[in-house]
Amino acid sequence: MKVRKLVPTGRYVAAFHRRKAVLLAVLLTLFSLPGLAGQGSFEELGLELLEGTEIETQRSSLDTLLSSGDRRVGPFLKAYLGGDIYRWRGQYVSYYVDSHPGEQVVLLDAFERSPRALNGKPLRATVSELGIPLSPPRRLRRAIQGAVRVFGLLSEYPKERLESAGRLGDSRDPAHITFLEKALSTEADEKVKYTLTESVAIIRLHHDGTPYDARLESARLLGEMKSLRAASIFEDLLKEIDGAGGTTASDTARKVYSTALGRIESYEQKVRVLGYVFAGVSLGSILILMALGLSIIFGQMGVINMAHGEMMMVGAYATFWVHEIFATYLPESFFNWYFVASLPVAFVVAAAVGFVTERLIVRHLYGRPLETLLATWGVSLVLIQAIRLLHGDNSAINNPTWLRGGAEIFHGLVLPYNRCFIIVLCFFALLAIRVLMNRTRFGLRVRATVQNRDMADSLGVRTRRVDGMTFALGAGLAGVAGYALTLIGGITPDMGQNYIVDSFLVVVTGGVGELLGTVGAGLGLGLLNKFLEPSTGAVWGKVLILVVVVVFIQWKPEGLFPPKGRVADA
Amino acid sequence: MKHLLSFGLAFVLALGVIGCSADSPESSSSATPSSTPSAGEAVKVGILHSLSGTMAISETSLKDVVLMAAEEINATGGVLGKQIAPVVVDPASDWDLFAEKARHLITEEEVAVTFGCWTSVSRKSVLPVFEQYNQLLFYPVQYEGEEQSLNVFYTAATPNQQLVPAAEYMMREGAKKFYLLGTDYVFPRTANKVLKAFLKSKGVPDENVIEEYTPFHHQDYQTIVGNIKKFAAGGDACVLSTINGDSNVPFYKEFANQGLTSGDCPIMAFSVAEDELRAMDVPPLVGHLACWNYYQSIDSPSNREFVTNFKKFCAKNNLPGGMSRVTDDPIEAAYFGVYVWKAAVEKAQSFDVDKVRQAVYGLEFDAPGGRKQMDVANQHTLKPVYVGEIMASGQFKIVWQSDGLVKPDSYSRFLHPDGKFPPPTGGPKKVSTSKK
Repeated sequence: MKVRKLVPTGRYVAAFHRRKAVLLAVLLTLFSLPGLAGQGSFEELGLELLEGTEIETQRSSLDTLLSSGDRRVGPFLKAYLGGDIYRWRGQYVSYYVDSHPGEQVVLLDAFERSPRALNGKPLRATVSELGIPLSPPRRLRRAIQGAVRVFGLLSEYPKERLESAGRLGDSRDPAHITFLEKALSTEADEKVKYTLTESVAIIRLHHDGTPYDARLESARLLGEMKSLRAASIFEDLLKEIDGAGGTTASDTARKVYSTALGRIESYEQKVRVLGYVFAGVSLGSILILMALGLSIIFGQMGVINMAHGEMMMVGAYATFWVHEIFATYLPESFFNWYFVASLPVAFVVAAAVGFVTERLIVRHLYGRPLETLLATWGVSLVLIQAIRLLHGDNSAINNPTWLRGGAEIFHGLVLPYNRCFIIVLCFFALLAIRVLMNRTRFGLRVRATVQNRDMADSLGVRTRRVDGMTFALGAGLAGVAGYALTLIGGITPDMGQNYIVDSFLVVVTGGVGELLGTVGAGLGLGLLNKFLEPSTGAVWGKVLILVVVVVFIQWKPEGLFPPKGRVADA
Repeated sequence: MKHLLSFGLAFVLALGVIGCSADSPESSSSATPSSTPSAGEAVKVGILHSLSGTMAISETSLKDVVLMAAEEINATGGVLGKQIAPVVVDPASDWDLFAEKARHLITEEEVAVTFGCWTSVSRKSVLPVFEQYNQLLFYPVQYEGEEQSLNVFYTAATPNQQLVPAAEYMMREGAKKFYLLGTDYVFPRTANKVLKAFLKSKGVPDENVIEEYTPFHHQDYQTIVGNIKKFAAGGDACVLSTINGDSNVPFYKEFANQGLTSGDCPIMAFSVAEDELRAMDVPPLVGHLACWNYYQSIDSPSNREFVTNFKKFCAKNNLPGGMSRVTDDPIEAAYFGVYVWKAAVEKAQSFDVDKVRQAVYGLEFDAPGGRKQMDVANQHTLKPVYVGEIMASGQFKIVWQSDGLVKPDSYSRFLHPDGKFPPPTGGPKKVSTSKK
C-alpha cells in the first residue's frame, strides 16, 4: 500500500472547496453565458478593491467579482495588478499614449477601459499629473494574481495564455485542473498546449488525492515531456518514498518516478550545456567589442591606451545623453528609437574624444611607450572626474522595450534579446573593420604606415593624419562597446575600470593587432569563463581565468595568432 | 613590444588591486574645513565620507545630508550656543586613508564628534583610532553586527532589525527555498551566516538554502541567473540579495531578461535603496522587495518636510541631481545622528565625550521617519522595520511594517545561541584624557 495519506485534512478541504466553488462558478459563467451580478455592481465591487481597508471584505468582493463572470473584470484586475490605475481628481483612470501636443495622454475609465469624455472631448492629462499608480495590498495580491491568471487563459494573446497556464500549474491547486483542461480543449497554439498539459500533469502528480494510476500516468507523461518544472516534485516524491520504507506499490512508483526524473535530467543537462555555450559566446562578443579598439590602436600604432575603458564610458554616456534628449523632447512613442540614434552618436563622440587625445597628448609621445601609458592613464582619470562632476555618480538608462525579455528557442533555454543584439552588433563591427582595413583606401594607408612608416611617408601618405584617424577609430569602437554595455549593466563614471583588465587579457591572449586573434581570444575566454563558473563560482572563476592566461602567455608569448614577417618587428 | 603589452597588463592589474584609491588622487587633497567661523563661537564636527572612488556613489549623499543638518541646527541657534563648523574630508574609498583622515580630524582639527563611514571595512579601519583617542563616531549604515565599541553609535540597523524580519516576511509569504546571493566581502558573508542560522532554526533544510558570492563590480550574471532559474523552477523560491553597488544593475537586468519575474521568484534586497534605484533601469525591478528601517515614501508631515528640505538643499547648493534627489535609509540615519548628538550634548550640558555618551543612552528623539530611541544598554538604535516593494517610480511601497520599534541586538542570537556576548571595546581610558 502507498503510505502517503490519500485524504486531505480538514482545513485544506474547506479552503479547497470554497475556492473550487468560486472557480467553478467562474468557469461556468465565462464559458457559457455571463451570469447575473451577485451583490453589488461591478463598479461598486471594484471600488471596494481600490479603496477598501478591510482585507476580508476586499477578499469577498474579489470572489463576487470573479463569480459574476463579467468580462470587464479580467482587464480591470490586470490593470490594477500591473500598476496601471491612478486616482485622478476623484476618479479612477488608466491612460494610453497618443501623439498629442503637450505630452497629454488620453484618460480611460478604470472600470470600462474606454476613453473618458468631457463635453464630447476626450479627457486628457499629463502623466506626471496622474501621480503614483494604485496597487493592491500585498495580502490580496496573490488572490488577484490567481484571478488574473484564470482570466489570462481566455486572452487573445498566446503569450498571456502561456503565462497563465504555467502559473496556474505552479499553484499546484487541484481546483485549477478543470479549468486548464477546458482551455486545453480549445487551444490551438502548440507551446500553450504543452504548458497546459504540463500544468495539469504537475498538479495531478503533486496532489495527494489523485488516484494512484492517474498519478503514475502523469509521471510518465511529464517524463516524456521532459518537464523541467516537475523535476523538484519528483525529487520530493522519491525522497518521501525512500523515507517511508519499501512496499510493492511504492517500488513501482519509485521506478516510474526515477525513470521520469532521469529523462528530465538528461534533457536538462543538454539544455544547460547549450546555455553555457550561448552565455560564453555572449560574454565573448562583449569582450571582443571591448578589445577590438584596443587591439587596433596597439596593433597599428604600438600605443597602449590606458584610457580605453574611459572611451567606452564616454560611449555609454553619449548613449545616455541621447536617451535623455529623447525622453525629454520627443513623444513617448518615439522613445525606443533613441537606441538606434545613439549608435552613431556613441561612435562619433568617443572617436572625437580619441582624436583630441591623440592630437594633444599621444602624438607628442610616439616612441616613448612608458610615457604614453602614464599619459593615457592620466587622461582616463581626468575623464572619470569630469563625468563625475557633470553627472554625479548615478545615471539610469531605460533599455528600449524591444530588447527586454528573451526568446525561448528550446523548451527551457531562453536567449535574452539584449545579448543576441550584442552578438549581432559584434559580428557587424568585425565585418566593418575587416572591410575597412582590406577594401578601402584608408585601410590601405593604415596598413602601409604600419608596415613601413618611412616608405609610406615618402609615397605621400600623411602618416600623422593616419595615426590620428586610427586612434579615433579605436576610440570610436570603444564607444560602441560602451553603447552595447548600457544593455547589460549600469552607467557610472568608473565603469571603464571594470572592463579594462578584461580587454587587456583578450588582446594579450589573442596576439597583437590580429583581428582573428582578438576574435579567438574573446570567444575562448568567454566560453572558458562560462564553463568554469558553474563549478567554481564567480570569484574563483575569475581567478582561474587569470591563471590560465598567465600560463598561456608563458607557453605562447606571442598570443594565439602571432604576426609574421617584417611586421612582427614593428 | 610584447613585453610592453604584458607590462601594460600588469599595470592595469596592479591598479585593480590598489583599487579605487588611486582613482582620483586629485580630490583626496580637499581636506579643508568647509567653513571657519570664529573659534570661540563654533564647535567643529568631522564628516568622514568618501567623495571619490567606488563608494562615492552612496556616501556623497550622506555628506550632503549631514551638512544640511548642521545648517539647520546653526539656523536655530546651534548647539549649546555654539555654531557647528563641519570639517569635510575625503577618504576616497581607501580604507587606510579612512584611519589617517580620522586621526587628522581628531588631532589636527580637534573635532567634537565625527559622522562617517559606510562600508564595514572602513569602520573597522577607523575603530582603533576612535578608541585610542576616546572620540565618538556616528555610523549611519546598516551592518552585520558582531561589534560593540563604546566609541561608536550605530544609527542604522543590526541584523535582527533588517535581515531576520525580512527572512521571516518571505517565509510568511510562502517561500520555502532561499538563494543567498551576495558580493564577496564582510557584510554579505556575516549577513548570510546569520540568515543561514536563522533559517536552520526555522527548520528549513540545508538543500533548500544556497549561498553564492560574486566579486565586486561583477557584471556577468548569466550563470547565476541560470542557477536561480533552475532553483526556482518548482516554485516557492526567493533570493535574499546582499549584492552591493554597481553589480545590482546587471543582476536585475539579466534576471528579467531570462524571463524571471517577482512572481516566479521575488528578490529581497538588503543593499538597494532609493538612492541606488536612481541609477537603475527600474522596470525590471518592479515588484521585487527590499527591507529597511525608513523609506522616502513614509507618509508623515515630518518626512514630507525632510524630503522637500533635502531636495531644496541639493538644488540650492548645485549638487548633482538637484531637485530630483531622493532620501533613503542611510540618509535618514546620517541626518538624525546629528540631532541625536545635539540632544545628547544639550542633555549633558557639555561636549565631553564621556558625558555625551552617557546622555545618548536611552535618548528618545523625533526622526523624519518617526519617533525612535537609542538603546539603554548598547550603542545601537531602536527602529521600526519596513518591507517595501519597488514601484515603477523608483520609490518603495511599504507592504509590511513591524509592530513598533525593534530592539537592536549588537550580537546575533543566532550566532551566539548560548547568549554569551563579548564585552564592549573602547570607552574612557584611565591615562589618556579626552579631547574637548
